[in-house]
Amino acid sequence: MIVVDLLLMLVVAYAVGFLYYGLYRNITARFQRRFGPPVWQSFIDSIKFFFKEESTSHGWMFYLGPVIMMSGAIMTLFFIPFFTVGDTFQGLSQYGNAFVILYLLVLGPLGNALGVGTGGSPFGAMGITRGLTRLFAMELPFYIAVIAIMSLSGSADIATIASEQTTFNAFAYPLLFIAAMISFIGMMGQSPFDVPGAPVEVYSGPASEFSGKFLALLMSQSAIFTFAKLVLMVHLFLGGASGFLELLLKTFILFIVVIAFGAIYGRFKTPQAVDFLLKVPTTIAVVGLILATWS
Amino acid sequence: MEHNGFIQEQKTLEGDLNSDTSHKNSVDFLMNWFRKRSIFVLAYGTGCGAIEMPPTFTSRYDAERLGIRGAATPRQADVIIVSGYCSYKTLRRIIRTYEQMSNPKYVLALGSCTVNGGMYWDSYNTIKKLEDYMPVDMYVNGCMPRPESILEGFIALQKEIGEGKASSWQKYEENYEFYRKNQEAVLGKKVEPSYDADWYLYDGGL
Amino acid sequence: MFKEIKKRFATDDVEVKRPDLYKVGIKYTRLFELVHMLRDEYEYKTLNAITCTDWIEEGHFALTYMLTTLDRKHTFMIQTMINREDAHAKTFSHEFKQAQIMERDLHEMYGIDFIGNENLKELSLENWIHTPPLRREFDTLEFVNNHLTFREGRDDNVDTKAETKRLRALKKAAKEAAKKAKEEAKAQKPKDEKIKEGGG
Ligand code: SF4
Repeated sequence: MIVVDLLLMLVVAYAVGFLYYGLYRNITARFQRRFGPPVWQSFIDSIKFFFKEESTSHGWMFYLGPVIMMSGAIMTLFFIPFFTVGDTFQGLSQYGNAFVILYLLVLGPLGNALGVGTGGSPFGAMGITRGLTRLFAMELPFYIAVIAIMSLSGSADIATIASEQTTFNAFAYPLLFIAAMISFIGMMGQSPFDVPGAPVEVYSGPASEFSGKFLALLMSQSAIFTFAKLVLMVHLFLGGASGFLELLLKTFILFIVVIAFGAIYGRFKTPQAVDFLLKVPTTIAVVGLILATWS
Repeated sequence: MEHNGFIQEQKTLEGDLNSDTSHKNSVDFLMNWFRKRSIFVLAYGTGCGAIEMPPTFTSRYDAERLGIRGAATPRQADVIIVSGYCSYKTLRRIIRTYEQMSNPKYVLALGSCTVNGGMYWDSYNTIKKLEDYMPVDMYVNGCMPRPESILEGFIALQKEIGEGKASSWQKYEENYEFYRKNQEAVLGKKVEPSYDADWYLYDGGL
Repeated sequence: MFKEIKKRFATDDVEVKRPDLYKVGIKYTRLFELVHMLRDEYEYKTLNAITCTDWIEEGHFALTYMLTTLDRKHTFMIQTMINREDAHAKTFSHEFKQAQIMERDLHEMYGIDFIGNENLKELSLENWIHTPPLRREFDTLEFVNNHLTFREGRDDNVDTKAETKRLRALKKAAKEAAKKAKEEAKAQKPKDEKIKEGGG
């Protein structure tokens, strides 16, 4: 039974993730006053890459990178329940809590670093360095916000946190929400924090040496991971969801906010991004934490 | 209302795309369909033609609505655009880049310079016929072709891909001796450019 | 200044090309002395360009060094001849850093050997084994015909020159015909006008 549940979760995350990615490209196009690609364009891209031949070889560790990323994304997804009520789409959430998820969030990037490091491309190494530097700065405000939320609601269980909100945490603790949101924009790889994969600076960074099926794997991975992260944010700050419609609505609103930021802002340099993340959202998070515990 | 003309154009372009019927079986058809609807173009420009590509890919002509999109590295790209004259030095890099791309890969050649030398027909340092040195799927002539004609060229290429006719990468593999011979005739025995850090640091630069 | 140069370097080839551009031609052996003098005593601190002209009939290359003042207002052209066969000159790259790449370019295009320049690798002609292409004995057309293949023309190819001539002749004829018609119309015009007046 649980296997079917997990598979269904995966399918839903895959489909919705790619749908969101297609919408992302279309909406960004509209921001730039273009017609934009069809909604299923990202899906077509990934399938096409599955049909391509591999021509490069950098040893097995190189190929393990995308695989570790993929498993990181899938594990994250499995530990996040989709709904706060009911038995379906619960995944493995009764075996793990928010701490596990916070740990799994960084598994993907680290695995990718191992893989890309062995491929000889200097741009890959540069992208990874940028990514890990940013990751370090990005996690601080996010962790502060999440741990504050956990201690405020007295539980580390995602479903409990979600269902215990009478007013949404986003409105009850707006400062925490803003801090988490800023680093969430970075986690989604959006401007102004999209330093690791900047196409004109490091030639798509970590992905620069991957081709064909591994690139397709990376694309699917990011689609699934995106959805998992959106669901996590919805549970932590927007009161979770009790049905598909609610879940899609909430995640989509969150997603629109994120990509609107991405479409509007230019890219930071790496030191600027780290500086900004360590100063602004961290301060906001700390102030939010103090205010929340005070009252 | 103001978008009507635009949507009409889109329909005409896509109608052209969808009109192919000559496929062997449904798997082939699907594969080719995915390939033609998603084309990653290597961001690489030679000659004057590189200046016509930014408008093709950005807001004014927006090639992304046809699934055509830029890729940063040759590993991810499907199409390389040779956009104008190739001097010997450039040709080395083009060949190297082309060989780094993974199959299936296609070549789009822009401008009369790639067709027959164009206005550089009597230059000692540029090649005259690109298809002697690497296979070419589609030529777009003009000096320089406007973004409209580049889009037309892309549509024609997509059509060929959809019908399974664009197979230049196979041609390159089968006739490698021929291409290599021609390459060596103009570039000397060592066709590939040297690509080490010392090329930049210790060789006096450039 | 001119007087001093004339006296010191025993040359008559001094010319004011423009108010801001002077030219002097001297023997190669005195080149360094003159450049040092201009640099140290006369504010011509920058080397702008080194150019070369191929005088194949006289059998020498003319090297031209352009020196400029720091405010970029005055330029001094120093022209000197070197032997065409076995062309070599001493490098300026120790006096002016930018001379390094200029000499590298000249070496590539004319085959002039600049003694003392540490890197004379080719810039854009990689692995070039033929005559340096800007020497005048290098026949570009012949080289192109020998080394590169052209695409055969189409069947409906026309000789563009003859075609333009033909079209021009046609155009001319048409123009003349139009002119004639106009003149004829003019001849008829007075009549028309009269009719018009009558009508008014
Ligand atoms: S065809 Fe014309 S525009 Fe294109 S590279 Fe040649 S000269 Fe330039």
